[in-house]
Amino acid sequence: MSLSIFNARLLDPATGLDAPGAVFIDKGKIRDVAKGQSGPHADAKETLDAGGLCLAPGLIDLRVKTGEPGDEQKETLATASRAAVAGGVTSFVVMPDTRPTVDDVALVRFIRERARETAKARIYPSGALSVGLHGELMAEIGLMADAGAIIFTNGDIPIANASIMKRAMVYAASHDALVMSRPDDRALSGSGVMNSGALAARIGLSGIPVEAEWIGAARDVMLAETTGCRLVLDQVSTARTLEIVAEARARGAKVHATVAAHTLFFNERDVGDYLTYCKVNPPFRDEDTRQGLIAALKRGEIDAVVSAHDPQPPEEKRLPFGEAAFGAAGLETTLAALMSLVNDADLPLLDALAPVTCRPADLLGLPQGRLKSGTPADLILFDPGKPWLCEREHLRSRSTNSPFDGRRLQGRVMRTLIGGETVFEFTPSS
Amino acid sequence: MAMAGYTYSFDHEHLLGIEGLHPLDITHILDLADRYADATRAGKRADPVLTGRTVVNLFFENSTRTMSSFEIAAKRLGADVINMPVAQSSVKKGETLIDTAMTLNAMKPDVLVIRHSASGGAKLLSRKVDCAVINAGDGTHEHPTQGLLDTLTIRRHKGRIEGLKVVICGDIAHSRVARSTTMALHLLGAEVHLCGPRTLLPPGTDTWGASSATTDFDTALKGADVVMMLRLQLERMDGAFLPSRREYFRYFGLTADRLALALPDATVMHPGPMNRGIEIESAIADGPQSVITEQVEMGVAVREAVLDLLAGTHR
Repeated sequence: MSLSIFNARLLDPATGLDAPGAVFIDKGKIRDVAKGQSGPHADAKETLDAGGLCLAPGLIDLRVKTGEPGDEQKETLATASRAAVAGGVTSFVVMPDTRPTVDDVALVRFIRERARETAKARIYPSGALSVGLHGELMAEIGLMADAGAIIFTNGDIPIANASIMKRAMVYAASHDALVMSRPDDRALSGSGVMNSGALAARIGLSGIPVEAEWIGAARDVMLAETTGCRLVLDQVSTARTLEIVAEARARGAKVHATVAAHTLFFNERDVGDYLTYCKVNPPFRDEDTRQGLIAALKRGEIDAVVSAHDPQPPEEKRLPFGEAAFGAAGLETTLAALMSLVNDADLPLLDALAPVTCRPADLLGLPQGRLKSGTPADLILFDPGKPWLCEREHLRSRSTNSPFDGRRLQGRVMRTLIGGETVFEFTPSS
Repeated sequence: MAMAGYTYSFDHEHLLGIEGLHPLDITHILDLADRYADATRAGKRADPVLTGRTVVNLFFENSTRTMSSFEIAAKRLGADVINMPVAQSSVKKGETLIDTAMTLNAMKPDVLVIRHSASGGAKLLSRKVDCAVINAGDGTHEHPTQGLLDTLTIRRHKGRIEGLKVVICGDIAHSRVARSTTMALHLLGAEVHLCGPRTLLPPGTDTWGASSATTDFDTALKGADVVMMLRLQLERMDGAFLPSRREYFRYFGLTADRLALALPDATVMHPGPMNRGIEIESAIADGPQSVITEQVEMGVAVREAVLDLLAGTHR
């Protein structure tokens, strides 16, 4: 079935395109991007008037957790994908820290099959970098990569032993596998639950110091440089860490960095009266640090913005702050978090979209994430200024632990297409 | 107990911390506590303003001293008191703070006194229950009745708080007493200096109201009206946060020589329990300048006042 979406504002961060026009879709792929064309394509069987909405590639998210397998009460691949498409996320990578850990081929296949059978979005498994994520023995990186694991990571807890990390990276490099690692020196950050500093001291919570991230980043970036391994630093929370990345990149290292969308939106003060929905790792930093990240985003220094979607049920969050689980649901609010920067912080619209479309696509080697003929028709129609109130009871994730709960946001996805098929359509009651 | 000659409305549902209190709130509590203390000293029985009220002591951490103090205060005012030292009960079976709170709430107590090892524990509880909540210490956050009893003890000895120089020395970083006492004294106009090894001095103590945070105890002591020593947890000594007990005592132990740097009539305080010979010399702890046992006495009076204000029948 062919479809022409017309009367749209075409946004393609890969080419810098921002112009009115139409897109022609056939057999699940984009067949034509008609800049300046006002009406629909004449040969289209179906037409869709976008009503002037923005038409952009669907979002690609490098870091999503579900509870499948093992903790389906938190989230399943199906419920996460329902939240994803409502947030405009059409492709996402799921983390390996499930029960059991995704550290062998059977589990990689399981995730792919379950995703195909139950989920609306395109889901890509990542594989564990070490067996059981214990940081001791290397997992079957090559076999898992062949089975479709797209990233290798040790999840929230990086491999502590630098020698084991180095060997895993040497080995991963030989398979041209992409390694993603949390820059975190656990000896420094170990017992911390929020950003280190005066506020944490005042409310009596233990802090996660920025130097834990810098030291972790410096180690992994240097190992990437000497091993030739392709590395993504997972969820950087300070601009200084991005400087460490930039310096290594200047030396020829293949290193990249992601930032969690909520880190760009909140600062440590949002923890306020021990709000456990704001307990995430890396923690929300101080306002100067947040502004530093926004400035880096404007300079194009952030390769990917991720949702860091980490659904946690009430029993994990309705606890004293120190005892509550880390993590925030984020799939439905990533785009809105970025649009808040477009609307309030002078971030150009295309610069907001690049780290959630073409740049993560390039990192993963995926064809989607751009408005280009021959690529999958994973598209979103969105209104960048549409105001809405984020209420957790309306979020689609199985766990609705969103720090955005109760926040007024701008920017809403009106329709999401995957392979040319509409998988989500906004209705005022939806 | 009769109300004062002025009217003042203590407009708080709970006592979760000194933060959030107005100086007038503090003065009001202290004035009432003063009268309770005087009455007890005079051997008079307090009016049973809590008759028919139920006070539950919910202690997730063991503390015989504080729990007894609340129990005596509540009983003096005629309340029914139920002690729940949860440290050895259902929480061990995986019941969460909120589950315990909801169960207790269903029994309709009038006041929940909570001590919990997590900062923010009392606040969390207060969101889930219908009765008044008194924070009897939450993690390394606050211990407001301790802050109030320290302030009351000082006020009774010095006749005022404003303009006094108070030095608090010890493990500032992990002390909820340091936070509550500093805030209370600052709100009433005292100049509070915090002192301890650098590893135990957290950043941002100016936001608590402290005038300085220093490792130089001797300089801090000069001209001090009040010296308060904090308990150093044994697990923090011996290499973790500082090298040794003897090194700590050398720089931060309160000795007679050191106390001589303060004003001659300086008051010596300690929230207890003391490590004699580590943070304070026995001769000082038991000496004429020490008001350590009086702090315990004022603790009961302050808790009577707080219970009265939050749950008394005249409200």
